[in-house]
Amino acid sequence: MKAAELGIGELEGFFKELLTKNVVDCLLLPFRVGKTVTYMLVSEPEKMGSPVIFVPVFGISAANIVKGWTIERKIGVVAKPCEIRAAIELIKLEQISPESVLLFSVDCAGAYNLKDFAEHADEIGDALDEGKVAALEKKGVSLRTACQICDKRLAEYGDVGIMRVNAEKVMLVALTPKGEEALSAVELTLEEKDVSREDLKRKIKEEAEKRKAEIPRISSAEELDDVLASCILCKNCRDMCPVCYCKVCFFEQPLGNLAGGDMLNLATLRGVLRVPSPVQMFYHLTRLYHVCTTCVACGACEDACPSEIPLTKIYPMVAEKVQEMFAYEPGKSVEEPLPLTTYKEEEYEEYLRP
Amino acid sequence: MGEEFEPRIVGFACNWCTYAAIDLAGTSRMKYPPNIRIIRVMCSSRVDPMFVLRALLNGADAVFIGGCHPGECHYIEANFYTRRRIAALRRILKEFGMDNRVRLEWISAAEGEKFARTMEEMVEYVKKLGPNPLRGRL
Repeated sequence: MKAAELGIGELEGFFKELLTKNVVDCLLLPFRVGKTVTYMLVSEPEKMGSPVIFVPVFGISAANIVKGWTIERKIGVVAKPCEIRAAIELIKLEQISPESVLLFSVDCAGAYNLKDFAEHADEIGDALDEGKVAALEKKGVSLRTACQICDKRLAEYGDVGIMRVNAEKVMLVALTPKGEEALSAVELTLEEKDVSREDLKRKIKEEAEKRKAEIPRISSAEELDDVLASCILCKNCRDMCPVCYCKVCFFEQPLGNLAGGDMLNLATLRGVLRVPSPVQMFYHLTRLYHVCTTCVACGACEDACPSEIPLTKIYPMVAEKVQEMFAYEPGKSVEEPLPLTTYKEEEYEEYLRP
Repeated sequence: MGEEFEPRIVGFACNWCTYAAIDLAGTSRMKYPPNIRIIRVMCSSRVDPMFVLRALLNGADAVFIGGCHPGECHYIEANFYTRRRIAALRRILKEFGMDNRVRLEWISAAEGEKFARTMEEMVEYVKKLGPNPLRGRL
């Protein structure tokens, strides 16, 4: 692949060049603000502070930020692989115009949620290493569950990958022709380089699989009902989910939202009716079906849950099974069709009946 | 209780094939267990997987969906999508041990006998499975 090596200090200049050379009209990048980190949409190079692109925190998914309004002007999005993968799914779902974004994924070593990050901001710093993760683990501060089981952490998604070679160096890799064009436009000398990193990939996968095996699964309908008992139906998981995109959600409509009269009818029919359940299970199973092929396992749902329901066990860990069945990896390519929008004449007969 | 468990099955039948097959089974006086409640839909792809979830979460012991054989859809290709949707839904339900309560069958308008046979099989199978585990919780 065509790639160029840069010092970590040169990155800021590279981003500024993207703006001055009009490769993009705006850049979405993470910056430190006080004890937290937030995305900022930068249009003027002089006003750009120091972006912290490898910062290990997950707040609002960048895909969620650029969803639904990117039309003409080109936005460069610099974000973690899960966020870029979500953006690619949103392109396929026609929620982001492919011409209006230039996607940069960065190497990710896992992330903390906003709360943990704010409490330990100084110790965590701008980038992670294994030592820091272990030291924080001793203090009872863990990476987000979704990050612990994530095996897609490398900068291999989108148009350009920003690999972290070591503490001083990064490698910019052109992953698509569009990415190559962008890198050439800022006059970087691109060389053919081997950036496969197979060993690292294998190691990440092994660790993720190991951790995943340790997490107990929800294995029955009754157990799911018990886990969801504390759901207050705030639907934050839907709002924070990058790939949940309907303008008017089914659960804001009468069919998904039992109104008083329906409940009275059912109560009269049965003699007794539990409320609001089974709406909780109906809501989560329906949402699970809706995102089963596009879920990028970012874990935004779990972060968003005020009742601290382990939603990673429900969304990413179940969606993964469906994706395995369709041999589909969400966010891998813009061309590959969404599994539920295509078919072959002969397939899946063995999945239809007991 | 003492009485034998009689499953309640919600069935969605395509207007162009399975529904006609059920009609045929009836007019030909074929016998099949009366546990199914048929809902006629214009195509098996009209069955949003949410309908299936809603039936199960309202206490149905099983859900049956009947459509035209692949390649014979009245709307040319719609049942190919049904197949993928139901496969995905059943894969999700499998994680929670509920997949065996959902069944999709291809039954053409001429296959009244296949419908009767499917119902016998299904009722027997669901009797073995037992009632919907969520029934007592709803």
